[in-house]
Amino acid sequence: MKKLLDTLGHYLDVTLCNIKLALMVIIEYPASIAGWLISNPIQFIVGFATIKFVVAQFGEINGWNYGQLAFLYGLSVISHAVSMMFFVQGWFMGYSVIEGDFDRYLTRPLGVLYQFFFTTFNIFGITDLIPGIVVFIYGCIETGFRFTLGNAVGILVMIIGAAFIRGGIYIMLGSTSFWTKSANDFGQYTQEIFDKSTMYPISMYPESLQFILTYLIPIGWVSFYPVSGLMGIETAVGIGSGNVWITFAVGIIVMLAAGLMFRIGLRRYESAGN
Amino acid sequence: MIRVNDLHKEYHVVKKGQGLSGAVKGLFKSEKLTVNAVNGLNFHINEGEIVGFIGPNGSGKSTTIKMMTGILTPTSGEVLINGQNITKHRKEAVRDIGVVFGQRTQLNWDLRLEESFELLRHIYRIDKKQYSETLEVMDEILGIGEILSKPVRQMSLGQRMKGDLAASMLHSPKVLFLDEPTIGLDVGTKYSLRKFIKEINRLRKTTVILTTHDLGDIQQLCERIIIINSGVIMEDGNLSEIVERIAPYRTLKVEFYDSDIPKHERAELISEDNNVACYKFFKSELTAAELIRDLSGEKAIKDISIEEAGIDDIIRIAYGIKNVE
Repeated sequence: MKKLLDTLGHYLDVTLCNIKLALMVIIEYPASIAGWLISNPIQFIVGFATIKFVVAQFGEINGWNYGQLAFLYGLSVISHAVSMMFFVQGWFMGYSVIEGDFDRYLTRPLGVLYQFFFTTFNIFGITDLIPGIVVFIYGCIETGFRFTLGNAVGILVMIIGAAFIRGGIYIMLGSTSFWTKSANDFGQYTQEIFDKSTMYPISMYPESLQFILTYLIPIGWVSFYPVSGLMGIETAVGIGSGNVWITFAVGIIVMLAAGLMFRIGLRRYESAGN
Repeated sequence: MIRVNDLHKEYHVVKKGQGLSGAVKGLFKSEKLTVNAVNGLNFHINEGEIVGFIGPNGSGKSTTIKMMTGILTPTSGEVLINGQNITKHRKEAVRDIGVVFGQRTQLNWDLRLEESFELLRHIYRIDKKQYSETLEVMDEILGIGEILSKPVRQMSLGQRMKGDLAASMLHSPKVLFLDEPTIGLDVGTKYSLRKFIKEINRLRKTTVILTTHDLGDIQQLCERIIIINSGVIMEDGNLSEIVERIAPYRTLKVEFYDSDIPKHERAELISEDNNVACYKFFKSELTAAELIRDLSGEKAIKDISIEEAGIDDIIRIAYGIKNVE
């Protein structure tokens, strides 16, 4: 137990040092963050404007009214932002496999996956948070969502679980490069799939697709099911505020599976020739 | 300090047919080739040794170094660093090693050197006192002080290499692995790098394992060399003993006053160019003094120089490359 705490403390210390260094890089190159601060929020605000337009035409989407959709959209963008901050490196794992970037991590006394994600901390993910929070607050006001302690904890638990599901899937897709030996860049596809299946209710899709998104590739748990639970909307798997905890559990399971896949893949790692 | 037991590494290469038809066939039926990059290595290295690890490109030398540093997982066999199996207990075992690859840096391009060092200080949990002591030593040997606040991206190759070396020594590892550390460096930087290696070996008893194609590195640094080719050890032993055994001859270069070059019955005339001639002779048969005396008896000598059997000869012979002179 003491050893575990000691290890956790060590990792926390290194993480803080990395965040500090990431901030210093931004201060050194301030122009780069300005670009992100403008382009990222615009992307999501435009996305939300589209939803607003659709709802204005049809009244609602699959039983979800405007406020509820804003709530869903906002939380989806927030968990996306968190996953960007911590796990975006997963998109580029293929390049690291081919270029031999893991050499450096393997010769240091810390977890390889930890170093892969945290030695280049993506502070720009914060710029995604802003539109997420704006739309989410808007959704809260529209739906009259009550911020009780239980609800607040539920949302926090859900965001962590959702970020884990996203991150775990990035890791799994990235790890395929250990087998294919090619630098597949899944970033854009994953982003598309996640956007389409987490920003809108998946109940609008065919049942077979819903089944896949619930049980096989559990993207439904990123935002649709937990938000349905919070909003009191009935879904195929039932309603309940407990959904947020299922999201959390699914997140842990996906992350563990991803870690296992990464470990097995790493044994096949071939570094890069000189 | 380091023990390598029956180390193997196999790669599987999928053999592809030529052209589009070959590629399509490959989709259905692929032929897998097994390549034995490293094929049963056994050796151990004691504390404080400087060992040169040499071999031609594709010999398995890099693969071996990468297995020894925990980067590659061996197909079978084991590597023990200070008694710890680096494959099974990577995190513990790598605390004892420092690794520098000549062709890539472990420093962060975006940061100043001292910031990269600061991160390493946290990663290896080096206490401040030890950290500043090590930095002082590094400054003394490498002159690291003047580049500490320089961003890595603005560094010359030589400066970056110095930075990398210092970075690898911050946690005072027992073993230092250097993979082609002098590649592409100018003479002055090479000199200070070699001095650095000798100094840390002397001061800290750091064991150094070095791969290089630079014969100067080997001659000046290594008492022991391990020659590897096709994944097996060709030679392992004291450098001068190996030279003595594989290439027990010397070359005498003589400049005469004209191009009429005399022959000698116990020395082979290996080249002549106008009035300059090279004689190859075996130490056991003839001394240099005798050869010079005999030659000067026949013709007047203007200038001479003696070359020991070059380590390049050793490498040529061990690599199985024919001398094309």
